[in-house]
Amino acid sequence: MTALNAPSRLLDRTRRPPLEPLPRVTLPPVQKRELSNGLPIRLVEQHSNPQVVISIVLQSGGAVDPRGKSGTAALTAELLDAGTGSRDALGISESVEFIGASLSFRAGVDATFGSLLTLNRHLGEGIALFADILANPIFPLREFERLKAHRLTSLVEQKDRAATVASNAFMRVIYGEEHPYGMDPSGTEESVSGLTRDDVCGFYAEHYGPSNATLIVVGDTTMADIISLLERQLGHWKGAPRRAAITIPPPQAAPRRVYLIDRPGAPQSEIRIGSPALARNSPDYFPATVMNRVLGGQFSSRINMNLREKRGLTYGARSAFIFLKQPGPFMVAGGFTGSGTGEAAEQLLLEIGAMHREGVTDQELEFSRMGLSGGFALSFETPFQVAGALQNIVLYGLPDDYYERYIQSLASVTSGDVIRVARATLDPDAMAILVVADAAGTKGGLESLGRGEVIMLDTGGAPR
Amino acid sequence: MPGLKPVTYEQYALANGLSVILHRDSASPVAAVMVMYHAGSRNETPGRTGLAHLFEHLMFKGSEHVADGDHFRLLQEIGAMVNGSTSEDRTNYYEVVPSNCLELALWLESDRMGFLPGAVDQAKLDNQRDVVKNERRQNYDNVPYGTSYETIAREVYGPGHPYSWPVIGSMEDLSAASLEDVKGFFRTYYAPNNACIVLAGDFPRNQAMDWIGKYFDPLPRGITLTKSALSPAVLAEDKHLVSEENVALPRLFLAWPGPSRGTRDDALLDILTTILSSGKNSRLYRPLVFEKKIAQSVNAYTEGKEIAGMVTIDATAKPGTGLGEVEKCVHEVIERLFADGVTDREIEAAYNGKEAQLAGRLTTALGIAGGLATSFTLTGDAENFNREITRFQGITPEEVLAAGRRIFSSRHMTLNVVPRGRSSLASPAAAWELTYAGLPAPPAPAGTP
Repeated sequence: MTALNAPSRLLDRTRRPPLEPLPRVTLPPVQKRELSNGLPIRLVEQHSNPQVVISIVLQSGGAVDPRGKSGTAALTAELLDAGTGSRDALGISESVEFIGASLSFRAGVDATFGSLLTLNRHLGEGIALFADILANPIFPLREFERLKAHRLTSLVEQKDRAATVASNAFMRVIYGEEHPYGMDPSGTEESVSGLTRDDVCGFYAEHYGPSNATLIVVGDTTMADIISLLERQLGHWKGAPRRAAITIPPPQAAPRRVYLIDRPGAPQSEIRIGSPALARNSPDYFPATVMNRVLGGQFSSRINMNLREKRGLTYGARSAFIFLKQPGPFMVAGGFTGSGTGEAAEQLLLEIGAMHREGVTDQELEFSRMGLSGGFALSFETPFQVAGALQNIVLYGLPDDYYERYIQSLASVTSGDVIRVARATLDPDAMAILVVADAAGTKGGLESLGRGEVIMLDTGGAPR
Repeated sequence: MPGLKPVTYEQYALANGLSVILHRDSASPVAAVMVMYHAGSRNETPGRTGLAHLFEHLMFKGSEHVADGDHFRLLQEIGAMVNGSTSEDRTNYYEVVPSNCLELALWLESDRMGFLPGAVDQAKLDNQRDVVKNERRQNYDNVPYGTSYETIAREVYGPGHPYSWPVIGSMEDLSAASLEDVKGFFRTYYAPNNACIVLAGDFPRNQAMDWIGKYFDPLPRGITLTKSALSPAVLAEDKHLVSEENVALPRLFLAWPGPSRGTRDDALLDILTTILSSGKNSRLYRPLVFEKKIAQSVNAYTEGKEIAGMVTIDATAKPGTGLGEVEKCVHEVIERLFADGVTDREIEAAYNGKEAQLAGRLTTALGIAGGLATSFTLTGDAENFNREITRFQGITPEEVLAAGRRIFSSRHMTLNVVPRGRSSLASPAAAWELTYAGLPAPPAPAGTP
């Protein structure tokens, strides 16, 4: 019976199908306009689905929070929909819910992003709401107090999450608390406790305005459909004269030490290794991205194959360059078996070191460039993906033809470029190691890494 | 009201029973391939929990004609998005590829559908067992409230119910899984007649059908499996649990046995739970979070699975607030809901939210493939994906209320997760008597469990 049932062997299944050339990606044109107040508008039409995304990029985020007032940009963004001259918080929420839209305003490190996703049949109402929230917020005191208390509770909750504690403390360790990138934009309990409504109003007055922002629209609409609506709703928006570019100091090298945050009884250890590395507009962006894909940027990377598929120490380990306006970090991250913490850190350092010294093989180079090119074809399916691509151009000052040249930019990366960037950015001896783990069970293994005494930190990343 | 365009597709079956569903759309140069097997953790046996998911991991470790590591390597070489997932009811595998790389995906999927066992060995099993144990630590054990769902499902579904154990499995059972267990699971459940393959996106139709024939036709049909009967959970009495954990804030969970997937009550309770907790004006959020500020967050949701379901409300208390106070407020809200009813506008808003949600799933080839595959696998009819929105049309306030009454007047379980040493923050164990509990629940419409 089994023989009769056995699958036919006529087909030679060992022969993998031929590799076809990748499809050409035709990028939809970006239409540009400007409102009478100077607010730049970028529109990409995408008519495959009845959705529209309206998105604003404001060139100010947590990195420009006033000193000691970390969390100001984030709280300002969050308070925008808490009341306008003509709508209160509950009214805004009800209107947004009723049209089934998703509305979000949040501050990142370098920028504040606002977005509204709606079906095109509610677009008029959506634009009216979005514009009102953006241009006419009144920051009611009661709402300020409510959201501040809510944020303070979130910061308490956040300490329960080992992965978040690890990433935030890692940034603080490698940039130092004096550097704007050393602080998470959501702030600390101490900094948020001290914020007043005046801080929020002040931040809005200083940073929100048409000269510091770009409005991006993507989806099932046309310029003719939206331009008069936008002009009517946002054309009067004034404020925030163009400000001198804020200079963020170049980061220092990370200390070559091991930092440990104790989480008694933790079944796993969260590890972060890295240092400040590259800015988004660096000419080394493409070599670094090609290199990282080999090192830890995908499932079949060296780091994941070693730590997960060979050693079984983790559910997944990865590395990334986080490209920001100023040099952002290179970071290796993962959660590892508690008993294998020392081994995991050691192996991660070995992988980083090997890349630092030897770069990639020609085969790896081709594998990575091709994978990134193939992935590019998958990057423009949804309106959010397209809006995200436009945000990158606007926020980091990339050339308008950046995505048209993307494949070519990848193809021109050589193994020489990779080794040059690896030598400049991946020296394990210039990296810090941050671990959130059960200290009693892991400290010994971490001390054997030969980086001196382990430095204990509290859950906020400050020395204990 | 103009609605979303229905998803068009064609469907046929191979001689070996494999169902094929094709949806073509050339908006993006992308093709999604999803293979879904009608097997999940509910097909496991006690003592071997976690086997279906552990098995899913092994499906990525090569098959007889694909070397270990090649599955990911070959797909990542072309920039594909690759993954799989296991639920109680089904397991899926997918790749989203640049549109002219479709054949590679079909070759890989067919090889692991037909030729897995010869490529599985003890070393691979031991390695992925360790990986899955780390997945459990990372996503459940080392996460606040990460094991709450496991506790709730165990208590609500009760001993022996196929939904009473967690998909991820217990550490003990993962340790016990043997090569023979893995191969047995493959023999029983991984056959063309227990699976479907869905292609969505930009691909040449005839060529795709030829490839599907070439790679999948030769695979043998497996044993015929019988469809599982509905098995709704019933609680004989209220249950009250307190668990001290590594959390800063106490969280209250209230859970009721609920309807299974796709039933009328499932749709009605979906609307009701949206009215209860979605948005600042929702029935629960407004008093608990916005006005009284006794909770940091509140959620209500219904979860209809293939053979049973559950309705849950959870609320996280502000620091120092006891869960008794939170629970009291939740019950007041529910009492008021039955006294005042729900409005047409609330139902319309909830409907609009559903429509927008579905529109989001329709923007990607993967979203469409997943929707068609899930509807086909769990209901036997891919067309039910198009009813994901129509089933929310024409719903009346009376129906919503009646469905709510059927749930909230039945026995439930309460789980209090509190910080270590703070069990005083738990809600009182005495059963909360709802004033509406004495009212007879309206009879369930025909076809509702």
